[in-house]
Formats: sequence, structure tokens, C-alpha cells
Amino acid sequence: MATTSTPGYNPTPEEIEFETRAEISSIWTGGRLFIGMYAFLLASLAFSYFYLRSSNNGDLWRPNHVTAPTSFGWAISSLVVLAALLAIYGQWRLRQGRVLDWEVAGWLSFGAALSALGVQIWQLTVLPFYPGSSGYASCFIGWGVVSIMTISILVYWTETTLARSIRMRSEQGAGAQLSGSAEGRLFRAGVESCTYFMGFAALSFIVFTALFYLL
Amino acid sequence: MTTTALPDTSGQGSGAAPVAKSPRQRRSGLFSQHLGTAIIGAVIGYFVGHWLGNVIAGGYTYVQNSGENAVANTLGLAFMVFGWLAGVGALNYPFAKIIGKSSRNAEEMEAWSASLGWQRYFRYTADHKVVGMQYVVGVLLFMFTGGLLAMAIRAELLNPNYHLFGPGRYIEIVSEHGTVMMMMATSIIVGPLGNWLVPLMIGSRRTAYPHVEAFSFWVFTAGYMVIFSALPYGGFPTGWTGYAPLQTQAGAGMISYLLGFAVIGIGMMAAGFNLLVTIISYRAPGMTWSRLPIFVWAILATCALLTLATPTLFAAGLFGILDRTAQTAFYVAEHGGSSYLWQNLFWFFGHPEVYIMALPGFGIVGELLPVFTRKPLFAYKVAAAGMMGVALLSFFVWQHHLFQSGINPDMRPLFMLTTELISIPTGFIFLVGMGTLYKAKIRFEVPMLFCMAVFFNFLIGGVTGVFLSDVPVNVTVHGGFFVLSHFHYTIMGGLLFAFMAGLYYWLPKMTGRMMNKKIGIWHFWTMFIFFNLTFFPMFLIGLLGQPRRVFQYAQNLQTLNEFSSMAAFCLGLSFLLFAWNLLYSMFIKVEVAPANPWNSLGLEWQTPTPVPYYNFERIPVILTDPYHYSEDGAPAVADLGVRVSAGASTAAT
Repeated sequence: MATTSTPGYNPTPEEIEFETRAEISSIWTGGRLFIGMYAFLLASLAFSYFYLRSSNNGDLWRPNHVTAPTSFGWAISSLVVLAALLAIYGQWRLRQGRVLDWEVAGWLSFGAALSALGVQIWQLTVLPFYPGSSGYASCFIGWGVVSIMTISILVYWTETTLARSIRMRSEQGAGAQLSGSAEGRLFRAGVESCTYFMGFAALSFIVFTALFYLL
Repeated sequence: MTTTALPDTSGQGSGAAPVAKSPRQRRSGLFSQHLGTAIIGAVIGYFVGHWLGNVIAGGYTYVQNSGENAVANTLGLAFMVFGWLAGVGALNYPFAKIIGKSSRNAEEMEAWSASLGWQRYFRYTADHKVVGMQYVVGVLLFMFTGGLLAMAIRAELLNPNYHLFGPGRYIEIVSEHGTVMMMMATSIIVGPLGNWLVPLMIGSRRTAYPHVEAFSFWVFTAGYMVIFSALPYGGFPTGWTGYAPLQTQAGAGMISYLLGFAVIGIGMMAAGFNLLVTIISYRAPGMTWSRLPIFVWAILATCALLTLATPTLFAAGLFGILDRTAQTAFYVAEHGGSSYLWQNLFWFFGHPEVYIMALPGFGIVGELLPVFTRKPLFAYKVAAAGMMGVALLSFFVWQHHLFQSGINPDMRPLFMLTTELISIPTGFIFLVGMGTLYKAKIRFEVPMLFCMAVFFNFLIGGVTGVFLSDVPVNVTVHGGFFVLSHFHYTIMGGLLFAFMAGLYYWLPKMTGRMMNKKIGIWHFWTMFIFFNLTFFPMFLIGLLGQPRRVFQYAQNLQTLNEFSSMAAFCLGLSFLLFAWNLLYSMFIKVEVAPANPWNSLGLEWQTPTPVPYYNFERIPVILTDPYHYSEDGAPAVADLGVRVSAGASTAAT
């Protein structure tokens, strides 16, 4: 990846446009591929859940139908879904040219995801079962770790996108996020990928909440 | 590096770019990061993590009762990885993003790294060619250590009664050998050649995610340390497959295995992710899917497997770590878990892993055959379809590894069928090679010799694989030397020979220096002969009943084992010939490589040597596929927009 300061490198405007399009395409493709990778990780957990549930070794899948604290579970999922909805709303407003609306929605989304992270960690400290007491307990701990990982990604991705927006505004002036410049187009592609992943994460939380608290 | 004030043609906005200090100025002296600081970071990280683990879990009853603090060991190793990455500078960019810096800000660092001469090979750099060379050295190091362990195994098996190692030490050596070879040396073969060549072959100036690419290499090296940290902890007795319940009964060394797999898994995902997106998004104008070099198709299929199968390995490793640290019971049947869960998760990754190793080898051979036969690649589209078919089918065969260990018998025919099905696209690829060789005037250069050996070896490995997919044979020879010989024929006989072909073929491009042909021929023949003399007898040893991973065997098998061991030592010596050839050709008697020593039409050979930092002075426009050998009036492969390098214009003849 060369820069204009690399000796001997002197791209034409057409080449810069070509490379910018490739970069936008890579953000689009990378975002979807990341979701694909993550889906396989979550599928591994779901497979473990159903495998141990159907095996029910020693009748120890879920003795006494013990359940992780339900109120915590619903709170975490609701916060993640809220974060995703805010991100989707923000992106919709950004498309309409309302950068401030996107930023406000983005920070609220960040706050919701951060709160979900806090509640998730808290929940793991008040579980009514020992981690190795059953198949369900093991899978739940596994989900807890994956959940922390997922929310951490949401928090990081949202924060870095917002920080980039602030930096663009301070360096390039208001409206840089909406400009037709390479930086502006790449920024919007990044926002779109981030939002897409948040939607996927919200969906996965709904599925796993159903698995661990409803079934 | 000097920062020149060029007019702002980047279209990055109307604001003038701030005049920055030279990155070299900002990152000089004590604050520059390199291999040395990575080592310091790893050591500090280990002790901090271990101390933290003792603070967290030192008072737990089960820790005090067992005398083993798995939390401290895990955190020690995890912080070691973190310290390693922080020390080398791999975390600078993720942290810089927190304050809003974009990847374009980070390009400054990359430009800086390009100016550092040989030192850049010891640093975190986003130049795909440097990362490729780092991978070459890394993979050769992994192979060397894995090979030394193989020599130790064969030394032990020289005699059924006299032992060099105890049974525990022997299985530790076998386990480390298998893990390093399968998970490090061969699974990331996309690293050296893929990273170096793919952008050049598709006409790109960069990879899609240069930081992810560099990150993958440094994570991989951290994984190497983690896997070998098992030895001071007493090793792990499970072989590379890590089966439970042995896994849950093993000592502290098992943590190194589980965490190592998770860390290596991250590296594999990162490497695959970057190259896959690069191939999809960064192809030059005119580089349509039907013009993609066959090697790039192979890397595409491999990367699809790396990105989609490896998350399962990561999950399996994570659950194993949780079993040992958080006391969950994923793999403990007595507490509601199941040891078969590990087998399913492991092999859901593990069988695609076989093709993660095989496909790049097919790609290398497919790329080299037209060059040395001066013929177009026979049935190009069938080869590409075969590779994608293998990748897809590889997700549907994993349960054949469980034929003998508890699978529902009714499921066996289904997985026998899917396993046999996969031999069809594999056969396509083989036939494409045969078709290309048919009536060809073959140039037996060193890379071509290795390619021919791949066909010979892989035929034996592939045919025995068809036997093994059948349940009756599988059940009969399960866990024995027959299986061991089969997978050595496919992986070492297929991939490793192809990798050697690739190195002999592309090193002149990568380094600007020719490998010595005479030593290369000696290397080839010794490696080919002694490889077969080592592993063919193992089919017989296996059929006569010798199990794998056991240091003692029946007296009547001693002659065959002795023969195999002696051949293995000679095979090891053949690798020393390769090492000598590298040393001799690169440093002692340097022969500068011509611009296009093999008269290849490949786009990578149309660039100057050494390849500029930005690969192409002008982004090329691709006009046709690179296989129009011996065709009168064949068009040039690409319009490079600049003068064509010497040799390229005559390559079609």
C-alpha cells in the first residue's frame, strides 16, 4: 500500500479512483465475510448446545431445569437490539445527510452496547449454578464468553467509527463525512459495514436468548 | 525516507494535508519496535499474566488441591501473546483507530517500513512482499523443528526393545511433531507464496487489509511459542488431534495446545480473510474470473476454507480452555458434556484443513506445468471448478474420522459416500495435470521435477485415501501406520513437494537470485527417493498391525522399521541439502536471476526485479489469461502501461 510520499509512486487520478473503489469494495466484502466467519463461530456454539442437549449424558443436560438469571439475559439482549436499532436509524439519517443525527444515534448505540457488556459481566458473577454442573451450564458459560467478545467488537467498531467522524470533522471541516471525496466514501462504507454487523449481532442475541432462556 | 510535498491528488478532501514529521523521526531510537521489543513484551506479558492468574485463582480450592493453576498458566500465555504483539507494534494501528485514525494515516508507517532495508524483515510491516518473505522463513523454521522431532521419532523406532525415550516423552515428541507440522508448517502455506504472489498475479498494488496480513504472521509466530511452551509444562499426550477424555486428564501442557490452537486459529482466519477479500476486490481491470491464474483460484478456495472452517477450531479450543480454567464440562461426559463434541468440532475444522494444505499445492503445480510444458493449462475451467468443488465438499465429510469412535453406524454410508464423492473433483485436478503433460515437450528444470513428484506421490496418497473412505478398510486399519503413511503421502508428498517446486520457481523473483541447479537436482532426487523409501514401507508396517503413537512394537516389524528410519534420516539430510542450496545461492555464490528465467507469461514475472514497493508503476489492464504458450499471435497478458520487462515479450514462444 503505497502513499504519495513513496518514492517513485505517482498514481494518476484514474488509478486513485480505481483503488478507492477497490477499497470500498473490500470494506463491503470484508464486512460480509466477517459476518460469515462469525456465523460459523456461533454455529459451533449452537451445535455444542444441541449436541449436549440431545446427548443428555447422565441426565445432566439441565438438572432441575436450572436457568441463568432471566432478567439479566433479557436486559442484555434488549440492549444489544437497541444498539443495533439505533445504529440502523443513524445510518438511515446519515444517508439523508444528517450527520449530527447519526452521531447522536451512534453514541447512544455505543452506550447501549457498553451497558450490555457491563450487564453481561455482572450476570456471570451471579450465576445460580457451577460452570461444570451440567451441559447447559457449560454452554451458557461458553455463550457468556462469546457474548462478551461480540459486544466488545460492537463497542470497538462503533467507537472507532465515531472517533473517525470527529477527526474528519476537525481536520476537513463540517460535512466531510458526506463529501464525494475518497475519505468520505470510505467512511460511509465503513459505517454501513458496522451497522450491518450490529444487525447480525442483534439477530444472534435473539436466537441465543431463545435457546438459553426460552427452550 | 523523505516526505516529498506532492500535490494533493488523492481526493481526500479539500483541507490541506498537515505536514507530518517523518515517521522515521517519530519512531526512532528506543521507541522503534521490532523482534527484540516483541521478545521483551512477551516475557513481561508472561510474568504479568501468570501473576494475575495467581491473584485471581490462587485461593480456589481446586487449585490448591491439584497444585496446578490453569488460570495462571492460561493468562500467562495469553498475556505473552499480547505482549509479543504489542512489542512488535501490531497493536499500534488498532489503538490508533480509537482516536479516529484511518487506515490511510497508517500508510505513513508502511512507507517508513519500506525504507528500512533488511531491518524491515524483523519488524511489523504492511508490505505484502515483506510479510511473504517473513512467512517463508517462518514456515521453513516450523518445518525444520517439526522435522527434527520426526528424526527423534524415527530414532526411537529403530529398535522395539531399546528405548531412547520413555513412553511419556515419546508421545510428547509425536504430539509436538504432529501439531507443528499440521497446524503451523503446512496449514499456513498460503502465507509465504499467497501473500507474496497473489497481489502481483491479480495486478494489484496491495492487499485489501495489509495490517490484518501482517497481524496474521506475528500471531502465527506467537502461536509457535505457545505450542512449544508445552514442553516445560510436561507436553501433551494427545497427538495433534487432542482427543478428550485424554485432553481433560492431561497435565498443564494441554493448555499450551488448546490456547495455541486458538491463537493459530486467529492467525489462519486473518490470513485467509485478507487474501480472500484481496482476490475479490483488488483484481486489476480485465482480470475476470476466467483469466485468474490457477494458483489464485487455489488460494481463493483455500482462503474460503480458512475463514469459514477455522472459527470452529477457535470455538473448540476456547471450550477446552474453559474446561480447564472456568471448570466447565464441555468435554467431560460425567458432568453433562461429551468427548465426542470435541471430535465433531475438531474434525469439522480438521477435514477442510486437509484441503487447506492440499489446494495450494495443486495451485502451484497447475501454475508451473504450462510454463515447463509450453502448453496452455488443459481444461482450466475444470481445474478451477475442481478446486471450488473440493472446498465445498470438504465441509461434508468430517464424520469419516469418527467411523471407529462412536458414530451412529447408520450414518457411516452417508459419510462414506460424501468422502468418495470428494475424490471426483480431486480427480479432475489430477486429470488436468495429465492433460497438460500429454504430448508436451517437458523442460525438466528443478521446479518441474518437484511437480512430477507431486503427481507420483499424490496418486499413491489419493488412491489409499479412496480405500480409507470405505468403512470396512477404515475400521480395519484405523489408528495404524497405514493411515499415517496415507496422510504423509498426501500432505508431504503432495503439498511439501509442491511448496519446494514453488520455492525453486519463485525465489528468483522474490530474491533476485537463482537457486543453484546442480544442488537443486541433488536435493530433488534425494528427497524423492528417500521420501518414498521412508513412507512406502509404512503401508506394510500398518497392514502388519503396528499402531501409531506407540513407542514399542512387535519384534517381527523391526526390519521394516529400521529400513524406514534409515531412509527417514537420509530424507532429513536431503533437507539439509536444500538449506545448503539456500545459503549457497543466496549468500555465497550469488547468481543474479534474469528478469524472467523460466520464460513465464505470469503477470508477476512482468514486473521489475526487485519488485517496487507499489508493485506496478501503472495499474495493468489484463488482456488474457497467462497460459497462451506456444500459440502464434497470442496477445500479451497485460497492458502494463510502461515498458515490458526484458524476457516477457518472448515468453509466449
